Amino acid sequence: MPPELNFGWTTPIGEVVLGATNADGGTRRVSYRIGGGTTLPFLEGQPSTPAPLIAFEICDNPSFWSPIVKEYCGDVTSNVNEWAKKADADYGADLVRLHLTSTKQRNFSDVASLGPVVEGVLLATSLPVIIEGSNEPKIDSEVYQKCGEAGQGERLLLGTAEAGKYRSIAAAALAYNHSIIAQSPIDINLAKQLNILLKEIGVQRDHIVIDPYTGALGYGFEYSYSAMERIRFSALKGDSDLAMPMICSAADTLTIKEVREAGAGLQDETAIQWELFTCLAAATAGAEILCVRHPGTIAPLRKALAGMKQPAHSAGVP
Amino acid sequence: MALKALDIYKLLPKKNCKECGDPTCLTFAMKLAGGKADLDLCPYLSDEAKSVLGATTRPPIRLVKIGVGTRNFKVGEETVLYRHEKTFYHPPGIVFRVTDTMQADEIVAVTRRVRDETLTRVGADLRFNGIAIENVSGSAETFARAVETVEKVEAHLPPVLISKDTAALKAALVYCGTYRPLLHAATQENVKEMCALAKQHGCPLVVRSGSLDGLVNLVKTCTADGVPDLVLDLAPGTFGDFIRRSTAVRQLAITRAVPDLGYPVYLNAAETGQQDAAVALGIVKYGSVIVTDPLPVGSAKAALTLRQNIYTDPQKPIQMNPGIYRVGSPDKDSPVLMTVNFSLTFFTLQGYLESARVPCFMLIVDTEGLSVLTAVAAGKLSEMLVRDSIKKFGLENEVSHRKLIIPGYASPLSGRIEDATGWKVLVGPRDAAEIGEYLHEEWKK
Ligand code: B12
Ligand code: SF4
Repeated sequence: MPPELNFGWTTPIGEVVLGATNADGGTRRVSYRIGGGTTLPFLEGQPSTPAPLIAFEICDNPSFWSPIVKEYCGDVTSNVNEWAKKADADYGADLVRLHLTSTKQRNFSDVASLGPVVEGVLLATSLPVIIEGSNEPKIDSEVYQKCGEAGQGERLLLGTAEAGKYRSIAAAALAYNHSIIAQSPIDINLAKQLNILLKEIGVQRDHIVIDPYTGALGYGFEYSYSAMERIRFSALKGDSDLAMPMICSAADTLTIKEVREAGAGLQDETAIQWELFTCLAAATAGAEILCVRHPGTIAPLRKALAGMKQPAHSAGVP
Repeated sequence: MALKALDIYKLLPKKNCKECGDPTCLTFAMKLAGGKADLDLCPYLSDEAKSVLGATTRPPIRLVKIGVGTRNFKVGEETVLYRHEKTFYHPPGIVFRVTDTMQADEIVAVTRRVRDETLTRVGADLRFNGIAIENVSGSAETFARAVETVEKVEAHLPPVLISKDTAALKAALVYCGTYRPLLHAATQENVKEMCALAKQHGCPLVVRSGSLDGLVNLVKTCTADGVPDLVLDLAPGTFGDFIRRSTAVRQLAITRAVPDLGYPVYLNAAETGQQDAAVALGIVKYGSVIVTDPLPVGSAKAALTLRQNIYTDPQKPIQMNPGIYRVGSPDKDSPVLMTVNFSLTFFTLQGYLESARVPCFMLIVDTEGLSVLTAVAAGKLSEMLVRDSIKKFGLENEVSHRKLIIPGYASPLSGRIEDATGWKVLVGPRDAAEIGEYLHEEWKK
């Protein structure tokens, strides 16, 4: 009998709760507890943690969105509530991730309109929701305040905190008990530093999801893959400042050359495969939330993840 | 446990006869200690030396060569579990499967596709590696005919012969026996006959078992029978099975805890029910020979790209030769864009320049493969480097103007580059995606 595999892990990955059901004072029909892994992904003999979650990304102003998705999804992309509903009921996502792309418009100032947008999406789907605020430092603090408030009680996941901009998002998360995404540019030390900064201003470990930044497949993905493996490895070895679940969003996938120039009739297939390959590799490296933009990616991804979670079924396997 | 070079040296014949390919017994001992050479290379070992050095000096995962000629591929000889610990050395061979029940013209088409299809990415030609022929008909004769059909294309691709029936394999080996085909598979039932075939043709052999114990037993039988080139089929029932067993095999092999598991891993993605996903998992989780039905365009490109990513040395980014490159047919008045020799940077920029349709020159400076920001941060991109590169590559003779567009991220260097080169520096956008717009608006002025 070959010896048991022993990596000498000491510490499990921390857990983060996404979404609040009635019982917890929210209105979501489910809530998820992610993290909790005790070894490398998919190595538990009898899985005690759930499969990674699939988040479908939508936005409130599709002029900044991939034409491939707009074409595939049709008119629904211009009505964010309908789109959220579809992501939930038709596409079969676990989470809806709303990007407030309207804030990218030149001289955007209508922050007041964002609250109703978030509320609308929360009414349209009863799945837990991720909200991506603005990229504009000037309106940041107001935007996050509005999002946090609109989602009060729902245990949102708010994005995205970075080393140079984390205070306003942290403030909104703390005020309304949401969790946040902490993003650093593909570097384990920078990821750790940001988590420490967040800790210092009072954000608890169980309210942080690490985003190590995912470069698109063929465009830096190898660095992201290794950064994720290293973060997971260090966490299991006991570094509590890295022991949070990770999110993978290869947002550039639909704009890279191979997908953009795939040729007539092949764009959807190529986009789906590019997302699928990226997500599966990221899941094996430790990502627990996998974000996709093409609805066609969800079914094959879910099927594969279920297979990866299936326990060994022949004897003699460690 | 690993032995030190000197301990090994003591056991060598000390003839310094060079037959192992090393200048001295000591250098050979050093290679053995590092897992970089095979003990069998020294013909004069005593039995004692063989038994002591045996499993502890050979590479923890055996290098197995499949096929012959220019398209052969080698797998194994890996040393780490994570690519960031060192690197992964031998990318998996992705092998397209045909069955002996397919029409001959279909078989020919798949063979030609593997022979011809190339995806060129960041300067490398990425290809699929071989043809697996599976005996589904149950007939030895039909199987042999299918193999003959493949060989008649003269694509010289490494073959993988899949059959439970040794008689069928024997018939097929008539057509490819001298090309080092990989035979699939020896199991508890047929291991003796399989070994005889593999030995007769000097070819590598897959052993298949759903348990690690079963694999170890098969490996022991085969090596004792004189078949050293083995590949392990873990017969996974689920993707979870595959990840767990493949990781176990890798870990137990590289730590030499179970030397009999020190062989490359085989995965038949086509029998998993979701082959695109299986190919992805095979690539990241230690698969070395991945058999799949011909992949549609989308997953074919994704698979080749993922493999390239995972098997890129994390310490040595893929680099371009520094120099002057042309986009379109530039003339003396065309713009010059400076960038670094990290191939990803080069090809990303080049892609956008091509779609901008503005003929231009690219001046590639040697930052040892670092990206723009990384090179700036590491001090590898400097005004002296830019000045020397302009001189060295004769940029002054290419254009009559003296204007240089530098990447937006290199803007902190703009003043110094102007001073050092005497060229007027224009700071371009940060994101290469905006280069077209920039050239149309700014350069025209
Ligand atoms: C991967 C990576 C590495 C890899 C190296 C990969 C490589 N081949 O360069 C490794 C791990 C080795 C590394 C090391 C270091 N890195 Co580093 N690294 C990165 C990372 C994650 C991605 C870089 C990358 O591949 N970019 C993709 C390429 C294609 O981008 P690019 O070359 O800039 O090209 C784009 C544009 O510049 C533009 N462009 C290119 N050429 C031209 C030309 C013209 C004319 C125009 C107009 C435009 C243009 O087009 C491209 C696409 O838009 C970045 C963070 C990030 N996400 O950016 C950090 C980053 C660049 N690294 C950083 C640092 C500090 C370092 C280190 C010094 C220390 C460290 N933290 O590890 C070392 C130095 C290395 C050394 N040898 O000493 C910092 C730089 C900080 C700064 N702002 O100056 C960054 C930003 C991370 C951070 N701290 O935020 N790094
Ligand atoms: S072949 Fe053997 S004896 Fe000859 S130099 Fe090499 S190690 Fe020494």
